[in-house]
Amino acid sequence: MCEYEGQWREGTTFMRMPLLALLAKEPAHGYELKTQLEQLFGEAYPTPNIGQIYVTLQRLERDGLVRSQDVIQATRPNKRVYELTDAGREAVVSWIDATSEGPRIRDEFFMKLALSELSGTSDRLGLINRQRRHYLMQMRSLADLAVGADRKIPRLLIEGAMLHLQADLDWLQRCQEEFM
Amino acid sequence: MRAMARWIRADLRASKARAVVIVGVVAGVVLALLLSAGLLQGATNPWQGLFTATRGAQIWLHLSPGTDVSRLRRQLRDIEAVAGPYSSTAASVVQHGQRVRVELRAMTPVPPAVGRPLMTSGGWLTAKSVHGVVLDASFAQAIHAAVGSSLVLDNVDETARLRVRVLGIADTSDQGFYPDQTPGLIWVLPTLLREIEPIAGRTEEVVGLRIANPAATNVVVQQVVTQLGSSAVGTVSTWQQVQQSMSRRDPLLGLLLALFGLMALGAAVLAIVNVTSGRVLLQNADLGMLKTLGFTPVQVMGMMTAEHAIFTGAGILVGLAAARLLTPLLLGRVPGVSAVAATVPSGWAGIILGGTFGVVLLATAAPAWQAGRVKPIAAVRSVPPRGHLSRLASYAMAARMPPAVVLGARAAFVRKLSAALAIGGLAMPMLMITIGLGFWATLDDVQRNPADIGLAARVTASPGSLTPAQAYQVVSADPQVQSAYYCDRVEALVPGETTTITTLGMGTSQQPYPFHVVQGHLYHAPEQAVATEALLTSLGLRIGQFVRMWFGGVPVTFQIVGRIIDPQYGGEVIAYGRDTLADEGAPAPIGFYSLILRPGVSPATAAARLTRTSGGRLDVAVVPNPADQLGIVRAALVALIVVLAVIALTSLLTASLLGYRDHERDVGVLRAMGLTPLQVRSALMARTTVLALLAVVVGAVVGRLVSTSLISAVSRLYGLGSGIGRPPSMTTLAAAIGLAIIAAAVVGMLPTRPFGRLPRVAVLGP
Amino acid sequence: MTGAGSSGNDGRLLLRASGLSKTYTGDGVIVPAVRGVDLRLEHGEFVAITGPSASGKSTLLHMLGGLERPTSGEIWLNGERVDKLSQARWAILRRRHIGFVFQFFNLVSNMTVADNVELAALMAGASRKQATTRRAELLGELGLAAKADAAPARLSGGEQQRVALARAMVNRPLLLLADEPTGNLDSAAAMAVLRLLSRVHADGQSILLVTHDLRVASAADRVVSLFDGMIVDDAPMPVKQRPTPLPDVLKLRG
Repeated sequence: MCEYEGQWREGTTFMRMPLLALLAKEPAHGYELKTQLEQLFGEAYPTPNIGQIYVTLQRLERDGLVRSQDVIQATRPNKRVYELTDAGREAVVSWIDATSEGPRIRDEFFMKLALSELSGTSDRLGLINRQRRHYLMQMRSLADLAVGADRKIPRLLIEGAMLHLQADLDWLQRCQEEFM
Repeated sequence: MRAMARWIRADLRASKARAVVIVGVVAGVVLALLLSAGLLQGATNPWQGLFTATRGAQIWLHLSPGTDVSRLRRQLRDIEAVAGPYSSTAASVVQHGQRVRVELRAMTPVPPAVGRPLMTSGGWLTAKSVHGVVLDASFAQAIHAAVGSSLVLDNVDETARLRVRVLGIADTSDQGFYPDQTPGLIWVLPTLLREIEPIAGRTEEVVGLRIANPAATNVVVQQVVTQLGSSAVGTVSTWQQVQQSMSRRDPLLGLLLALFGLMALGAAVLAIVNVTSGRVLLQNADLGMLKTLGFTPVQVMGMMTAEHAIFTGAGILVGLAAARLLTPLLLGRVPGVSAVAATVPSGWAGIILGGTFGVVLLATAAPAWQAGRVKPIAAVRSVPPRGHLSRLASYAMAARMPPAVVLGARAAFVRKLSAALAIGGLAMPMLMITIGLGFWATLDDVQRNPADIGLAARVTASPGSLTPAQAYQVVSADPQVQSAYYCDRVEALVPGETTTITTLGMGTSQQPYPFHVVQGHLYHAPEQAVATEALLTSLGLRIGQFVRMWFGGVPVTFQIVGRIIDPQYGGEVIAYGRDTLADEGAPAPIGFYSLILRPGVSPATAAARLTRTSGGRLDVAVVPNPADQLGIVRAALVALIVVLAVIALTSLLTASLLGYRDHERDVGVLRAMGLTPLQVRSALMARTTVLALLAVVVGAVVGRLVSTSLISAVSRLYGLGSGIGRPPSMTTLAAAIGLAIIAAAVVGMLPTRPFGRLPRVAVLGP
Repeated sequence: MTGAGSSGNDGRLLLRASGLSKTYTGDGVIVPAVRGVDLRLEHGEFVAITGPSASGKSTLLHMLGGLERPTSGEIWLNGERVDKLSQARWAILRRRHIGFVFQFFNLVSNMTVADNVELAALMAGASRKQATTRRAELLGELGLAAKADAAPARLSGGEQQRVALARAMVNRPLLLLADEPTGNLDSAAAMAVLRLLSRVHADGQSILLVTHDLRVASAADRVVSLFDGMIVDDAPMPVKQRPTPLPDVLKLRG
């Protein structure tokens, strides 16, 4: 039931496809890509730092999906411009065409709940309450964010998150009924 | 409170249909009650109103010509005023080949001070119109004469014939209504009287005495008779007699209408309770919300009651206005009742209006209290109570009865109280309609077979200008006449009674007239007599007892041997063989023949034939059938049946609406389960139809059982004895039931039309 | 009793319930809907009650508004004991001091929108003029002035609920009770109603509402969780902090 792909790596994997997609439009260098990302996703999206972008681009180049070129500039230091390879273009196309997974089931909480029975630790109620309070906080933050968001994409993103949170709460209540 | 007023106003705006229904029902009931009271008043005491209006005389004497009455006033202190003496003579009006006996009374163009006839149309006698006459209203109605009509007058020996014109029609309190008290009264100028009857010996003097103390009437009569000498006094009539005569026929009508009016009130109350409690159920959610907003239970109850008070008050006002408008129109048509006499005294009116208001309000108290008790949890819709699919229903389903019908029928009984109210609200009107149909059937029967109410002979023939032997020849020769009995009508004095009573010598002891005997037997020997229940009661006699009467000074003792039914003479008849009087030596007055016609012969035809055959010299008259005069009863029955039907429809509509509301929630489910729209509609129709079927059948069955005994009870009161009651025929009843079921089916179909169009999902919901 | 201070001081409590229980008996079945609930609400506080269905939330709310009689326990409203009041006395209390909003709107169906709002004002003793003025004011604020003469059935769900809110607020009640106010609304309408609730709360209105919607609950000052008729958690929501840590829920997975 619970696929344990086991990933909570902070980091750069979540930027790969968006960067490829941006490059599909036209070649660009690191700072341009950062600006584009910021403009597109706004405050809803954590602003990636330039270092993470360059690391991702290098990895993409290593994987053969982009190639880079140095451009000589007269008065400024050289900038490296990246562009898509054929493989990269293919990757973007198949990424867009493929179905997407929803956000992964947050099964760490469920693991704790399920294991508490075996491990003998009590205070399941406390566990449930803590998780519920967490959801409440998250919802509150989302609500606060939503106040400032006036563009379509950030708004939809927030709403999607809220709906998921509601589903999480409903599932929490179901767990409460079964475990308590 | 302002908030209560606001809610009432909004609710009144929103529920116009319900308001109209309640106002209409209340108005109808008030109208019915006021009309019955008017008729009752006109029936029980028309005399009083007329007497006051005409400044009448309590005592009327017919004296032989030449009697001196001038000293009466001086000698008897009790006498306030004397009317007359007026010359009067017997005559006949010839109309359509029939002769109708009348009394012509001579009066001057100046209306008298005492006993002044009350003009209802036209004008009084005037010197300018020598051949102008004024008719008594009841008489005019009977012969269908109006102002401007022309009549032919014949005197007793038919030696003089005059054509006269009707100048006016007037009410009088001098004598009872025609044809109860014959002969009909016509006022003429003295010149006309002399023209008709020049022989002085044939005229009588009529004198009216107005006395100060009505209670002393009997004493005064005795004094007057003593003074004038009993040989001079022909007939004496007192106000009690007139009053009784005037009131005799109509109690039947008034009683009927009062009965029906009260039952209509009962049915109306049921209908209103139905409508109101149905509305409380329908508005359950709103009422709960009012409680949540902060209305106390008492306030909610008060608002409902106030609203109903408004409806009821409006209904009463409308009913009152309608009664004011319709009383002269409707009651004026009843024979013998004048609109003057039929005004409802304010005491009665007050009781009727106040009573209706109180009863209706009381009836709506229960639904109002129900409303006050609605729980304030506003989110709960009015969910029908859980019903189970009864075993009966399961069997029916298994037996492959259409599922729609079974579901519908079962749904009818889920709400027990509503079902009971609906059934009651339909059964009551059906019961009363059945009783009404019973009355109708009885009237039909009485009209067809008057012998059942004692009217064996439909035609009487006086010899007129023929000798009795000649008359007998004519009469017996007629093929349409089955048998003829020679009868005398004699006035007799009974001690203890100050007025004379009409006695009949009908046939002989060997060949008695075939009265309809209900107890005992006919007279078979001289000095045996039979009498009607009414007469026995008024004389305080029983079968087997003896009574002594004076016939023109000759005392005769009779033994009462039987009780009969006879509607003539107001139902007070005592009869014996003519040979009794001949034996005793009492003078036998001019008699007449009572003719029993062959079955199927119309009295009018026979009478016309006889008149023709005798060359107009035979004085033929048709005996009026009381049932003919009850035409107004038929009209009243029709009106009442209509009102009852409307009331029943109201109950039906409410039941149907409730069912619709309950059903609304289920329709979506049913359709999802696979019932076609037609089946869904059928289910709803079935619900209403089953309720109606049950109610109507119960009402009709009980009504049929009850109607016969009810009619018998009423006719006993009327002196017709029991046994004339007829239940409505099975075909009529079947037709009525069928009509009611069709109406129920139609009504049940009405709210279902939207179901055909609703998309499947829309109805499913909270 | 000490003077103004932190919560826990009875003098400042708007609503206090202790040991509140409600047991339904019927058809031979005993259903304990609410079991020994203690609750406090301060003036100006916004408290949300959440929990799964059949947790007793609505019953609890109804008891606090006098719509149901508790089987046992005490309720104190603004310092006065109210649980044993008769229906009539509760009605008078509700008129002036409590506003109700329900899931299914429950506007009186045979009165116009304006009448619905004014009725509540008239019941609290306002004159006709005062009622009309206040109604116009409220409907105007809610953007429903144009629909004042319409029948409730003609309004959309969100509009009806806003009218219901206007009706509840018309007398500036001490306490606003709401039972799943967004339960029957689509997302957009629900947001509108929630914004309204937040606004009146910001104006100082005390609100106690029952909801299963996390969004609505998270807007409250305090969230009480009910489970199986008992309170299992009472979570104060922090006042707005800055900077807001970005919820990781927003991070896309790859």
